[in-house]
Parts: sequence; structure tokens; C-alpha cells
Amino acid sequence: MSNLSKDWLLRVDDLSVEFKTPRGIVQAVDHISFDIKPNETLALVGETGCGKSVTARSILKLVPHPQGRYASGSITLKNQSTGTSIDMLSAPLSEVRATRGNRIAMIFQDPGKALNPSLTIGQQLAEVFGEHRVDLLLDKAGFDQNNLPFGAKVFATQKAGFISKNIFKLTHRKDYLKIRKSIDSAVEIALADTGIPNPKKVMSRYPHELSGGMKQRVMIAQALACDPDLLIADEPTTALDVTIQARILDLIKEIQTRRGTAILYITHDLSIVRQFADRLAVMYAGRIVEIGPALEVLANPQHPYTQGLLGAIPKSTTPRGKLAAIAGTVPQLIDPPAQCHFQSRCQWSASACTKNVPLLTELNDNRQVACLRFAGETHKHTQIGELPSQINFRETNNI
Amino acid sequence: MSFSISQHKLNQTNNTKSNDVVTLRNVKLHYPIKEGVLQKIVGAVRAVDGVDLTIKRGQTLGLVGESGCGKTTLGQVIAGLIPATDGEIWLNLDETSQLEIKRLNEIPSEKWDKQDQENWNYLKSQHLLGAMTKQRHRIFRRNCQFVFQDAFSSLNPRQLVRDIVGRPLRVYGEASGNDLEQKVIALLERVGLGPEHMLRFPHQFSGGQRQRISIARALALNPDFVILDEPTSALDVSVQAQILNLLDELQKDLGLTYLFITHDLGVVQHMSDNLAVMYLGKFAELGPTNEVFNNPFHPYTRVLRDSNPSLEIDPGAGVGLRLSGTVPNSIHPPQGCRLHPRCPVAQPECGWEVDDFLQHLETNSPTLFEKIERVERSNAFSVQLGMENEIDAVHLRNETQKINSPLGSALEIAEIKDKNVILRFREVQEIPLLQISTNRSSSCLLAGRTGGINSVIRK
Repeated sequence: MSNLSKDWLLRVDDLSVEFKTPRGIVQAVDHISFDIKPNETLALVGETGCGKSVTARSILKLVPHPQGRYASGSITLKNQSTGTSIDMLSAPLSEVRATRGNRIAMIFQDPGKALNPSLTIGQQLAEVFGEHRVDLLLDKAGFDQNNLPFGAKVFATQKAGFISKNIFKLTHRKDYLKIRKSIDSAVEIALADTGIPNPKKVMSRYPHELSGGMKQRVMIAQALACDPDLLIADEPTTALDVTIQARILDLIKEIQTRRGTAILYITHDLSIVRQFADRLAVMYAGRIVEIGPALEVLANPQHPYTQGLLGAIPKSTTPRGKLAAIAGTVPQLIDPPAQCHFQSRCQWSASACTKNVPLLTELNDNRQVACLRFAGETHKHTQIGELPSQINFRETNNI
Repeated sequence: MSFSISQHKLNQTNNTKSNDVVTLRNVKLHYPIKEGVLQKIVGAVRAVDGVDLTIKRGQTLGLVGESGCGKTTLGQVIAGLIPATDGEIWLNLDETSQLEIKRLNEIPSEKWDKQDQENWNYLKSQHLLGAMTKQRHRIFRRNCQFVFQDAFSSLNPRQLVRDIVGRPLRVYGEASGNDLEQKVIALLERVGLGPEHMLRFPHQFSGGQRQRISIARALALNPDFVILDEPTSALDVSVQAQILNLLDELQKDLGLTYLFITHDLGVVQHMSDNLAVMYLGKFAELGPTNEVFNNPFHPYTRVLRDSNPSLEIDPGAGVGLRLSGTVPNSIHPPQGCRLHPRCPVAQPECGWEVDDFLQHLETNSPTLFEKIERVERSNAFSVQLGMENEIDAVHLRNETQKINSPLGSALEIAEIKDKNVILRFREVQEIPLLQISTNRSSSCLLAGRTGGINSVIRK
């Protein structure tokens, strides 16, 4: 894709994800492309079932197999320091595992479900360090990497508290305590970094003893423990109250400015985007319909769906009962026809919209819209239909 | 008694539709906590803890608050689904009855004459939820309907839409057979569905359509008053807009009164005429929606407004007010103002107490906190803390002098007696909801002062 920028951290190119169901193949993600620059926040916005979470999970290659299948495309993560890059979809599993959590981390929607209820907070965070930062732990404990005492490395990598007693037999008590201390201090720093008061006490607690906001902070601490280049936040505040949400968003923003992490922020709430994101991608029925700088898109939306979505949000100026609701419902994505998925709900829909799949077209340097009203080119697997220039619009738009 | 009015006069106004649909007086709902073999009651969860409210006919009252503040419980209490443990819920009170109730409440009940007693009993039997006659209660149940939050669990999965929507009509003997079907079709069309949906099961519908079915069911008996408990929080924005438009249209056409319970400030600002902000079982603020939004009289309202992501806020404006900490336990709600431990503009007289001090100590100097051996409270405001030795006691006393917040200023006495430290904080009564102007009230101490909360925020 020529119209993607050169300086990027993650590039999703022509990604399609399909799910096999008894009723047919669901095209959850349909040929989408976007990229994320270093230190940037990209918000991926869309309604339930539009494929935004599947996109996020694809980046970590977490789509369940064999029901889910990557039908096409690539997801490339560039390493800024070495200049190498990895394709998450085609790379061997060992490399993908080394990337997960280490370079790309994820915060899930419901912290109550994402944390293991049978481990203390300290044990769960220790797992992250054990998985990805063994050398750091051993360094901190004051060991020489070339001359490690027997069992030290095993203890540092072990799955937290599970097998500590067995390892204790292998390791000298003095060494054991040293490693224990270095793990604890790493966890404590990670927790304190997310504004958790009294982290030592929180470490010995179980998830059910913490409030929702606190659990989400623990999740963030866990995600940021390895200082990832990219943080994927999948609706991290949907389960939280508005006052807590504001504080979590403040925290994520603050951490981003401090560490320069790029963020892919997935949400259904356009209102958050304005204060939070640099760029905005709007998804509808598996496709990106509009992408561009957040403030520009919100101020002057071009795709009819984005316009509808913005009109549907209650504002103080909208008179009661006059919300611009989008008529109809989201179409089924089982064996979808090659057409604009929004055409059945669109006020500008024309006969060409049922025959062509609109491609993302550049409006200006950094804005793209997938609507035939702006289209020069159409989708790869489009059947030949009416030319877009022949569309008679029912209404003219201010473009 | 010269003011006493005859029962006949009260009776006259009885059947007309009054201006006030519901009047709450100090309504409480405490869930008892039982313990041990004998199930002894050891405390209570104060879900709703003393609420006064009037809902006017034809209006929408928005009830906002965070999860666990008691807003849904209050809605259920008003609907009569849960009996209140204390307080009075008056229904459909006209002006004459209101004046009479007010007059009777001002006189101690021992001094009532026979006429007063008769009037009181009569009013109770006609208007007081829980004491009214069976017949009156039946009328109330018809007139007050409820739309539940979760349209997935509030529709019976084994029933057809026809049976779900037609159920109220059948229960009240309004219609049957062909007539019932016609009425159900009319109701479905009213909410934007069609006759073809009548013979389907709830699982065949999307979330928005289910909520429409719930609304159709609520409208079946032609009610005056509908309680909407988060009707759109499970829906997407575009569907939410459809439902909100529908609700507004229904209100205009049918003259409905709404109690709109939600946690979404954008929605409540759009939908409601008046707003009640709830925190920990009590109202923080009451008033006309726009005024409350533009000029909040309570810091909690201000925080809610600032925390609410909005398309209208200038992204460069910086962060607004935020709350610290988490919602306290409603078994032992904080003294004074319930918000004070989290409040960004708290004052020394907001009700600082021993618990606040212990929490402060736990976060700021955990080592010293661990050294406390005994905590002997005489009440919420004074305590004797037993330490291991005199040195620790001195440390603790010194720590109290270092507190650089309203908590420190509220500390009146901090003295050492042997190994013990005696602390006493300023005693404060519970802060009631105060009327600030004709139609606005707030339970913040600062609201009554010149400049209100803004005078403190700007500093």
C-alpha cells in the first residue's frame, strides 16, 4: 500500500480473518490495512461485532485456531534499534512468543477475568519478569551471568510461587533469598509505577480483594513490566465507573508520555477518542471505513457511518428526541456480498454501492475514507459494476 | 383545629391526576447483615440512606451515580418491588393532601384530634405505598412500570413476544383472544417493531429490539410513570440513539413521567429535566439538569462532569477535578459529608474521623501503622491508640503534626499517655441536603457559602 507512511512501528497490511461457523464463514476482519507510528495513539473505534477486538488479537496472533483463520495479509513489527522486523503471522511460534508481552503487550477489557484468581498479585507480576526478564532479575540479585549458582536461573524463570519449594532444595538459601528479593523489588517498582498506593501490601493480595480500578492498574503494571514498544488496550475502561475511567486514562496517557510507548486503543466510545488519541480509525462490519487524525475526523467526518456515529452521541446542544440515529442494524457477516456493507443504512446509497467494495481512498496526506463518493479505485475482488463516477447522489455533500 | 379540613375535601381531589407523581420522605433501605448460628443482625448495608425527592408529572428526573451508590435500589423501592425499611413514599399527592400531610407532620401525633387521626388514616390508605388499600395499590401497580437494564435477562426466553407484551393486559383482564393480539400489534408498532415479530422468541432479536420489547411491555397498561433503569447501557451508540429518540417520542405522545436511572452523564444530560446525583445512598445534589451541569454545587457532580469523556470538551483544557481512592464501604459510611475522604476540595469541617487517620497512616507510613497494637474507639471521632513503647507513641504523635491536609486541621487533640496516643477529631453532624436556591439543593458545606465550591477550586 503506497499511501501508508514510512516511519512506522507496526504495519497491518491487507489483513483478513475468517471464522468457520456451522452457518458459514464469518468474515470478521476484511482486508484492513493501517500502521502505527512510534509514540502514537491510534484509536480503533467501532460498534459491537465490527471486528475491532479480532484485529487486536490478530496482532498478538491470539485468534483461536482452528475456528479462526488468517485469510490474507501480514502484520509486521519493526525493531527500531536493530532495524529488523518480524511478521507475526508467518514467524515461528517461538519468535511470536518472545514478542508477546515483551514488545507488544495487551490490556484486556475485564480485569476481573484477565487476572488469575488463585494467584496473588505479586505472583502474577513475577511471572512476567520470570518469562521475559530473567537476566535483569539475576543482575539485580548481584549474580555474575557467567558464573551462576546451581538452580538460580531455574528459580528466576520458575512460574512464581508454584514450585518454589522444590527449587529451594536446589538453590542455596542465601541465593534463593537474593533472587526472591530482586523479584519482589521489580514487582514493587512496576506496581508503584501505575500509582498503586502501598504496593507491598497489594502484592500479597488476591484479585478479588481489589476494586475494579485497582485491578485495571495491576493489569497495566503487568502489561508495562517489560517496557513494550506497543501497548494494545482493548476497551480497558468499559467495565469501570466514569470517575475511575478518567483516572485510568490519565494514567495510560502519563505513562505514554514518560516511556514513549505506542498505543492501539480499542473502544466503542468516540467521546474518549477526542481527549486521548492522535489518530482515529473507524471500523464497520470488518472494514476500516475512515482513518485520519482524531481531531480532524471528529470535526469533519466524511464517511456516512462516522457521521452517523457522531450524530448518535447525545450532546448538550442536540434537542431531545433529535438524535441522528442510524436506521437499521449491522449486517450479518456470514459470506458477505462484495458491496459496501453500510449501503443498506446509508442515506447516500446508490446502485453502484451494491456492486463495488469501496477501498480506502486518500482525501489528503493523512486522511483516508472508504466510500464510493470519494473513490477512484475499488476493491480487489470487486465484480465489474457501474463506475463510481456515474453515481447519482440523492444529496450533495459539503466536500 | 381551625386548619383541619374534612375528609370529604380530601376525597374530592383524590381521583384527579395530581402534579406530584411520587414524593419520598427520608426513604431508607438497609439490608441487614446476619451472622452466626442465630442469624443475629450485626449491621446493615445502607443501600439507600435517607432520600427526599419529588417527581413532577410529565417530567424526566435523571438519577445518576456510580455503581453501588444505590440508584437502582432506589428505583426498585419507588416501584414497590422492595419495601423500604424506613421513610414514606407518597404517591399522586395533590396540593390539598400535601398541605395536610405537612400540617400533620408538624404536630406531634399525641396532640392530634379525632379529625386529624381520621385524615391521616385516610391519606395513608389512599396515597402511602405499603399502607394503601388493595384497590389503590392495584391502580398504582398499573400506573407505574419498570424497564430493566438487561434486556437479555428481563424477557422470559421461553415465551413468545406476543405473550411477553400481552401478559400485563391478560393479568389485568384488559383484553383476550383476538383483541389481545390486536393490542399487542399496536404496541409493537408503537415501539417501532411490526406484527411479524409477534411470534418470535427473545433470542431472535438484537439488543436494541429486545429493549423495544421491554418498553412495549411497560407501555401495555398505559402507565403514567415509567422507571427506566439504565435502558441503554448495554447498547451501542447508534442503537442507543434510536431508543432515546423513541423514549422521548413516547413521553411527548403519552404524557409519561420518567425516572431515568443511568451512569452515563451524556445520556442523562440529553434526556432529563431535573437531575439527582447520588453518592453512597444519599443525594449529593438536586436541581435542573442544565444548571447542575453548568454550575455544579457539589464537588462530586463537578468530578463526574469533568471525568465524563465528551466530544465537547476542549482537548487542550487539561484534566479537570478527579476523585482519589475508591468508594467506601456502605456498612460504615464516612461521617459528615460522605465524600470527604475522596473529595478534592475537602475542608477541616467535612467530618474527618479516626478511620481517615488510620488510612492515611497506612498509606503514608506503613511501618508505624504496623506498630499500633490496640485501637480503642470511644466514638468515630476519638480514639486511643496503644503502641509498643513510648518512643513509637512519640513518633506517632509527631506524625500527626506532619499531616498537611484538612485531616490535620480537623485534629483537635493529640496527646501521649504512657504508651498510648489519644486523638480527637472535630465532631461533625451528618451534612443534610440543603436548599441553596428555589430549585436547587446540595449537600456540600461549601455550596451555601459565597463563591461555592469554585472559590476553593480556583486556589
